[in-house]
Amino acid sequence: MMKKILQYGLIISIGFPVLFLLMLSIGRRWPYPALFPLEMSFSNWEFLQQSDSKLFQAFFISLGISLSVAFIVTSIGFLISKFIAYSKQRNTFLVLAYIPYLLSPVIMAVIFQYYFIITGLAGSFFGVIIAQFLIAFPFGIIIYDNFWNSQLKSIEELSYTLGGTRIQTYRKVLLPLSKNAIMLCFFQVFLVSWFEYGLTNLIGSGKVRTLTVSVFNFVTEANIFYAALSCCLLILPPMLLLYINKRFIFFVEKTNQ
Amino acid sequence: MVVVLPVLSGLVYATLYSFGIVGILNEGFTLENWSGILSGKSFWTSLFFSFYVAVTSILISLVLSLSMALSWKKALQNGILSTVIYLPLCFPGTVMAFFMFQMLSKSGFLSRLGFEAGLIQDLTIFPELINDAYGIGIIITSVLLITPFFVILFTNLYRSEQIENYKALASTFGASKSQLLRRVTLPILLKKSSVSIYLFIIFVMGSYEVPLLLGRQSPQMISVATLQKIQRYNLYDIPKGFAMSILYVLIIVLVLVLLYWRNRAFFNSNQTS
Repeated sequence: MMKKILQYGLIISIGFPVLFLLMLSIGRRWPYPALFPLEMSFSNWEFLQQSDSKLFQAFFISLGISLSVAFIVTSIGFLISKFIAYSKQRNTFLVLAYIPYLLSPVIMAVIFQYYFIITGLAGSFFGVIIAQFLIAFPFGIIIYDNFWNSQLKSIEELSYTLGGTRIQTYRKVLLPLSKNAIMLCFFQVFLVSWFEYGLTNLIGSGKVRTLTVSVFNFVTEANIFYAALSCCLLILPPMLLLYINKRFIFFVEKTNQ
Repeated sequence: MVVVLPVLSGLVYATLYSFGIVGILNEGFTLENWSGILSGKSFWTSLFFSFYVAVTSILISLVLSLSMALSWKKALQNGILSTVIYLPLCFPGTVMAFFMFQMLSKSGFLSRLGFEAGLIQDLTIFPELINDAYGIGIIITSVLLITPFFVILFTNLYRSEQIENYKALASTFGASKSQLLRRVTLPILLKKSSVSIYLFIIFVMGSYEVPLLLGRQSPQMISVATLQKIQRYNLYDIPKGFAMSILYVLIIVLVLVLLYWRNRAFFNSNQTS
């Protein structure tokens, strides 16, 4: 009985932040010691109908950056991770891949910011994409590394033995077999990029206003209701990805077992 | 090379800047910035504060996640909890930090609840849980962010390592429940996850968004302290900021090499993620 109560307590406490942020996002006035905002309306959410609103633009800038980074890392990472996984220096490459992954992205940004300034990439949309790529690419390599194994190598060699060309082997053998790994890499890299703040703010020089940058800007302006609204927008896509991941990828894995 | 080359080029520039060879207001080779950082308090205070926050957060997370993973095995594998436990993974540090700020600050939700319940008569009486000297707010937020990862990790390890079979075997030899936990379950889970735990410590040490929102001016975590030196209006602080970032990179690389040296099996096997 106690176990059940604790479990339900945990479930409620996990859902609480979402409800709390939603409540703040529709709030207006919240003086101390009122438990809830004195005014509640959906007027804050009306930005969805105004394409010139800052939040509307921030949402699509974030989406554009994250989708681009996820697409580039997933495609290039797929090809390069294969060479790394089968290389004799695999472990060296893997340890090197862990460095940007473990170092704070903002420290990395400090280190290579100079080159972004002299090339004119600082403060631009493409500059942020390139900077995030430098952080996310090693992460993609680490995700794919588990996927390339001796069994897959044997299947690939079998395809060549049976007369398959390199393109045919990729299109008909490797890509269908790696569908789940590709989706996993895409989702994970999307999240890394979607959640990123420090590096984006430094390389974007405050001009590339993503959702995470917006949260901090609204906090600085003491506009907690818009900050909460930005937070809601930040957690929506990951929740959707989580649903897709649990509903489809997890289901496919379970049925394959 | 795609990543290593820009990072190395950046490191070269940062090194030259920190030694006064390039950069605005620098007048030639000097060791002043490095000696200032190495002999001064600010870098080491930030480094140890980051280490303290990371280790404390990880230890609390380990206790919580192990308790959950071992007590609620069935619920975490099949029940609604098996889905809900993934939900906190959708929360970026920025969102969790903002949420905790609204919960734990002196005018936050908990303080309001305390006022309504008659526990406090004024918001000034509410304890300082954020922007505090001990990093309590940062630690609580980090624990909330990390614990779900560890719960999922331990639940999966429990199944993949077939710990139930080892426990059954130990039971036939007369092991008690406490011995099963201390001699079988915990050693296997902790040994198998040791590298992930170390990597998480490094990861939390370098966190930026959470301490930026919930930390205070002194002591600061290393990422916040470094960035503040670089972005300050005082241009003479920039070389020191670069020296701090290089030193931190060197320390992390050294720790990573040591980890690799002592745990080659982890990097060789298919459990790197």
